[in-house]
Amino acid sequence: MLIVQLACPKCGFVIEQYRADQLETDAQKQKRYQYLRKKQTLCPSCLTQTSKLEERRVEVEAAPEAELLAEGPSEAAPVGEGPTATPLCDELERGPWPSHVTELKQTRYHLQMYEEGLRQKKTQWGFGGYTSIPGVASGILMRASARPDIAKGANLVRAFCPSGTFYSTKTLRALSDVADRHGYGILHLHATTCDIEVLGVPKEELRATVDELVAAGLDVGSTGDAYRNCQECIGPLRCEMVLVDSVAMRQAYFTRFLDDVQYPRFPHKIKFKLSGCPNDCTRSQQKGDLAIVGVFRDPPTINEARLDGWVRNGGDMAHIARMCPTRAMEWDGRRLTIDAEACVRCMYCINKCPAIRPGGDRGVAVLAGGKMRGKYGPLQPVVIAPFVPAIPPDFKEVFDLCAKITDVYDEHARRKERLGDFIYRTGIDEFCRLAGVPATPQQMTAPRVNPFYHWTPEELQASRKEGE
Amino acid sequence: MPGIGVPPVEANLPPIVRRNYGKWVSHAVPRPGVLKHVSESGEACFTVRVGMPSNARVSTALARRICDLATRFSEGYLRMTRRHSLELVGVDPARIEELIEELRALGLPVGGADRSFHNVVCCTGWIHCQFAATDAPAIAKAISDALWEEFKAEGYPAKLKVSVAACVNQCGEGSTADIGVIGIHRDLPRVNDEEVAKCEIPLILSICPTGAIKPKPPKSVQVDPKRCIHCVACVGQCVGMPIGSPETDGVAIYVGGKAGNQGGGPAFGKLVIPYLPNRPPRWPEVVQAVRRIVDLWVREARRDERIGDWISRIGWERFFQKTGLPVSEKHLDGYVLWPMSARTGVRFHW
Amino acid sequence: MPGVGLPPLEQNVPPVALRNYGKWVDHEEMRPGVLKHVAESGEACYTVRAGMPTNARVSTALARRIAGLADEFAEGHLRLTRRHSLELVGVDPARIDELTERLRKLGLPVGGTGRTFRNTVSCTGWIHCQFAATDAPAVAKAISDELYEDFLRERYPAKLKISISGCVNQCGEGSTADIGIIGVHRDLPRVIDEEVARCEIPLIVSVCPTGAIKPKPPKSVQVDPERCIHCVACAAPCQGMQIGDPETDGLAVVVGGKAGNSGSGPAFAKFVIPYLPNTPPRWPEVTRAVRQIVEAWVQGARRDERVGDWIARIGWDKFFQKAGLPVSDKLLDGYVLWPMSARTGVRFHW
Repeated sequence: MLIVQLACPKCGFVIEQYRADQLETDAQKQKRYQYLRKKQTLCPSCLTQTSKLEERRVEVEAAPEAELLAEGPSEAAPVGEGPTATPLCDELERGPWPSHVTELKQTRYHLQMYEEGLRQKKTQWGFGGYTSIPGVASGILMRASARPDIAKGANLVRAFCPSGTFYSTKTLRALSDVADRHGYGILHLHATTCDIEVLGVPKEELRATVDELVAAGLDVGSTGDAYRNCQECIGPLRCEMVLVDSVAMRQAYFTRFLDDVQYPRFPHKIKFKLSGCPNDCTRSQQKGDLAIVGVFRDPPTINEARLDGWVRNGGDMAHIARMCPTRAMEWDGRRLTIDAEACVRCMYCINKCPAIRPGGDRGVAVLAGGKMRGKYGPLQPVVIAPFVPAIPPDFKEVFDLCAKITDVYDEHARRKERLGDFIYRTGIDEFCRLAGVPATPQQMTAPRVNPFYHWTPEELQASRKEGE
Repeated sequence: MPGIGVPPVEANLPPIVRRNYGKWVSHAVPRPGVLKHVSESGEACFTVRVGMPSNARVSTALARRICDLATRFSEGYLRMTRRHSLELVGVDPARIEELIEELRALGLPVGGADRSFHNVVCCTGWIHCQFAATDAPAIAKAISDALWEEFKAEGYPAKLKVSVAACVNQCGEGSTADIGVIGIHRDLPRVNDEEVAKCEIPLILSICPTGAIKPKPPKSVQVDPKRCIHCVACVGQCVGMPIGSPETDGVAIYVGGKAGNQGGGPAFGKLVIPYLPNRPPRWPEVVQAVRRIVDLWVREARRDERIGDWISRIGWERFFQKTGLPVSEKHLDGYVLWPMSARTGVRFHW
Repeated sequence: MPGVGLPPLEQNVPPVALRNYGKWVDHEEMRPGVLKHVAESGEACYTVRAGMPTNARVSTALARRIAGLADEFAEGHLRLTRRHSLELVGVDPARIDELTERLRKLGLPVGGTGRTFRNTVSCTGWIHCQFAATDAPAVAKAISDELYEDFLRERYPAKLKISISGCVNQCGEGSTADIGIIGVHRDLPRVIDEEVARCEIPLIVSVCPTGAIKPKPPKSVQVDPERCIHCVACAAPCQGMQIGDPETDGLAVVVGGKAGNSGSGPAFAKFVIPYLPNTPPRWPEVTRAVRQIVEAWVQGARRDERVGDWIARIGWDKFFQKAGLPVSDKLLDGYVLWPMSARTGVRFHW
């Protein structure tokens, strides 16, 4: 069987490999392969950054075993010698709030790394980044130590949280076992994108850690230039505000896009966040490269009898009406009216008064381009489509649109350019044209002020013909 | 010789203004086109405001007749407003009717104050300008004819200012108005090599805001059709870069501009109709579009809502729906400052 | 092997949530940290929420103890919120007090729902990150200790979310919060020629958003101090680009972010304090500044006004006054999208 290998040019470690026949027929693998050929990779063995992976073609009898990772320079020194006092860390154990230092102390994490960081006011960790090993294209972060006298480099494995971030104790114990067996014994519940992280896994145990997490029902990924973990809100699992089935939608996301999550190949990371209503508990409208927000179109409904009871029980409708951001509510002491035209379905009155409920005409809005870092600083995602049907189990219309957006991004964006920076640079009008998304007023706070819009040769030709 | 500066303040002020300089305490609009200002002393000053020919074009013949009226009705003084209306200030209230009649005989309407259609501001257009993509004075005339009665009455929710600019240089300040008409070129500048050879090529290159112009050896330039935004900047630098074609030039319509700080605050007009063809002498499609927008605003806006305020309240979604005007990607800003126009959040009007 | 995707719902979701999937009709905030959700069937589901160690750092020892409580009080299930609080869902209401006591013994406070200080979100900081300009977990701990009582009791006009990022990469999402802390580097990256020689120089040059990095022959780079914006991007591809300087690193404070569509809508927080020095382990200047801002908001805001909503109503002009913070030119945006932040018009609050 002919195998195509991509290896580190410095130490020869095989980063990824494919069957040659698969590479010819599988479009996903081709994209991933092109990505690795052209873009930068961090070698997990010697921590070199390179854009020039070596390609080898070898004949093998059976599926090759993963090679043992070579020892790198940052792992030379033994650990544990040196000062053991940690006065700054100790101070952080005081005070009423549960202390992260208390947690770190109960594990095999080298607390001196943190103490020195606090003492020197500078991180003691060295170079690192996302990397992959054969069979595990995403889900691993490696970081060297800048203080080999204190600690070796520390790697982590990242896994997807279960739906609604619910855990059976069985799962949580299994996760704890993995962390105890292979890592420091410290969990990250969770990283800000709601990924699970197991920290302190030595290179040679990465593969075993991954296998054991998967066996516990926690698949790995969400690192690198890939679709990341889709963070959803609790939705139908406990919330009466939810307008669409956010939990089922996240599951459908993973069913459809698992390869895009686990095999990085895009210009840069793509974070999906999914909130079931405009309250946006996942902060998708701040952080999502793709933000999916449940919305409703028809006006909120008022249950008169319930409203009556609520007011008699002390509910302050005058205050709520006054706080409506678009002044759509009128309350005369007995009767509440909501001006359906002025109402922007912001959820405020619905949150505050149980007699007011969302309308029934429900779908999702899709926004794109949110991010916190990058060339232009924090950018909020902008509206691409204000209303898309959200139909289980596949949510096809929603995800077709998302796929179109990321296809355009994949094809046109520069290396390490976030979707938001790409849209910024391209102009949203051109972006919508490329993605085949029609213009709607909901995409605009207002139509343009400047007169610099484009005309196609066909449009001009039509005018010329008319003039004849 | 130049160098004397502006005349002393009093040199052109009517006595009533000199008498009450800085001492005005209130004003009202007792009837269309008539203002009554009251000073501390109790003295009332009546102003009659008058619509004028578009582009503020006044023959000396008309000017002299206006002088006669000023002599007879306002102690020999007159003024022009910031929208180029005529004002006779300090008119005896008992003679206002008579004055209005005399003005009518001159073909000049009294009105344009407060909740009415105001005098149109427009640029020179084809009367005398090399850049004009349309004729602003004619369009201003056509619109003013259509809204004639509304200049002379007070029936609007708030004032209505319409301005017409013949090209995107906007000497006619279309973007500042409740409704703005702006002439646009849609083709590329044509490059005349022999003429360009006589110009300063580095200047032509550098003046282009999008870097669309590149040298074309030996001594000319070329324009990148993907980058050109038809902004007319290069045309101003070199006679070898003419722009404009009767078949592709036309006008765009913008809505919602205003200067005052009430309501939604100062803002520019926003694009609502990307293109209408030039159809001299009356531009019927332009007039129709203005009529449609004004009628809807009159029907739906609250008292004191300028057009921009009204649209802020109902939302652009509703505006396009109610006017029936189509929305295209040309409305969606993609140029440099586009994030200012892109919607974030999901606070939609449905 | 990877590739299994998500586990089926039943593996981790408690029976009470599965029974009533998509059929919730109401909820009540019983008291800080205790929620009651009611389903169509009439079944009531009680949730107890508890604060967790900052940076969501949980030893397996604590995880196992929590699992023990989950077995005892919540049918063997638990969850984490989107701000990494612990929640036990489906608790017998008669046992809530007992559970609260047991959590307290574990050092975990019950609270953080309703108009309270919420569990902070913070990144890894100096625990394990190479980019961190400050230690987010310790800053979070210091702030959480300072506002501890407000986690347990409802004293605020609305919820208060505080997030801490160790650097401008913002894995700790400071800009999303009512009050955010963002670690900043202020000095240029130091270029270590021997290390840079081993890296890919074209990549280092291209990753810089402002073009501040140029090649320095024979095999290194140089950084233009006029263009560098200390964004940390060059530190990622090459360990020869060293950021991190104890003397000039520190943190900034931002205010007014929120995700929800009510009030003034989704927005990022804005810079109000450009720099405070790192003073581990407790960062007293930071906690003081946070306290000042919180108290001004508590005093000045209406019920339901998030910090950003309150500022939108009173104006930034008044905010700096009421919070007792100086205004510096560093707060005036001049970067690429600065027109979005520049004031037009004269609608000032005095």
